[in-house]
Amino acid sequence: MNDPTLIGPCADYEHELVELHDGELSPERARIVRLHVQQCLRCRSWAAEFAALDSRLAAELPRPALSPDFDSRLRGRLSTLAVPVARGELRSLIELEHDSLIESLRRATWRRGLLGAIGSAAATLGVLAAAKGLLAHSADWASLLGDGPERWVAMGTLGATIAVAALAWSAMRRGAMGLGWPR
Amino acid sequence: MDAGIEDLLAAGRHARAFDLVVPAYKDRVFRLACSILKDRAAAEDATQETLVRVWKALPGFDGRAQLGTWIYAITRNTCLMELRRRRPMVSFDDPDSTEAQHAAASVASGPAADPERDNLLRLVETLPRNQQEAVRLFYLEDRSYEAVAEQLGMPLGTVKNLLHRARKRLMELARPDEVKAA
Repeated sequence: MNDPTLIGPCADYEHELVELHDGELSPERARIVRLHVQQCLRCRSWAAEFAALDSRLAAELPRPALSPDFDSRLRGRLSTLAVPVARGELRSLIELEHDSLIESLRRATWRRGLLGAIGSAAATLGVLAAAKGLLAHSADWASLLGDGPERWVAMGTLGATIAVAALAWSAMRRGAMGLGWPR
Repeated sequence: MDAGIEDLLAAGRHARAFDLVVPAYKDRVFRLACSILKDRAAAEDATQETLVRVWKALPGFDGRAQLGTWIYAITRNTCLMELRRRRPMVSFDDPDSTEAQHAAASVASGPAADPERDNLLRLVETLPRNQQEAVRLFYLEDRSYEAVAEQLGMPLGTVKNLLHRARKRLMELARPDEVKAA
């Protein structure tokens, strides 16, 4: 047990001996530690052994290098990949898709409302035609609606009321879907 | 260098930015992969894989982390995936494990084709994995604590502590048997 390296350095200086060797100490601390090392055999021996190990590690640990064809192989791999899409571009694409979907829904709703109105008008005309046929065969019914132009005014009013009701129903359905009018 | 790359990224010129990333980082990524994988061919494959991932992810880099920190994190993940893929393998991570004790014993009494160098490399193999990585990277990076801390994603103090413990342990292991027995 006479070898001072086996005892180890002074505990207070152990870390600073390493930092002194690695050049990590401030000039002031380095001066203090050097002074201590000059006076302390244990620390001097340990620091010398540490320096020897450090030199061996630096000299003998493998220092591999990349192959000369590394870049060309990397380019080869990248050439098979699609150009990546930026996050901002991706967001724009999603927003475009969303707007397009909303627009098509609005158009479909508008078309459905228009078809509903046309259907309602056709139904009204059909009802009116049927009523006219009935009135032609029933004097009692006809007497309820008056005679001559007065009868036609009454029938027109009835038809217009049904048409307005149908349009209002259609508009109410479109409003309930919350998509508004087409742009 | 990184500022120029980040300017290109901010301008949406990802391909041009990547052209600068490769020469700036490929060697450091390779050295980090070497320190983790301990195998040149595997480290080169991991470097390729890392740079491909960087290429794919570069448009999403938002600059919240430093570019180097981000690239080294991708490197470490790539290497850890490779290590997981390799399992089962003999691990010397735990110095108290049976394998580590066996390895240390074989180091002390093993063959000596190139005794000095072989012994030293095998002694390094007996260290816990995080100490091995720190030691290998420290000497690959020309003894830069800061480079090791950045690449391993550890605080500087942690790296200093790891390196101190690792080299102290190596000093103890490297002493001749007769000195140890004295």
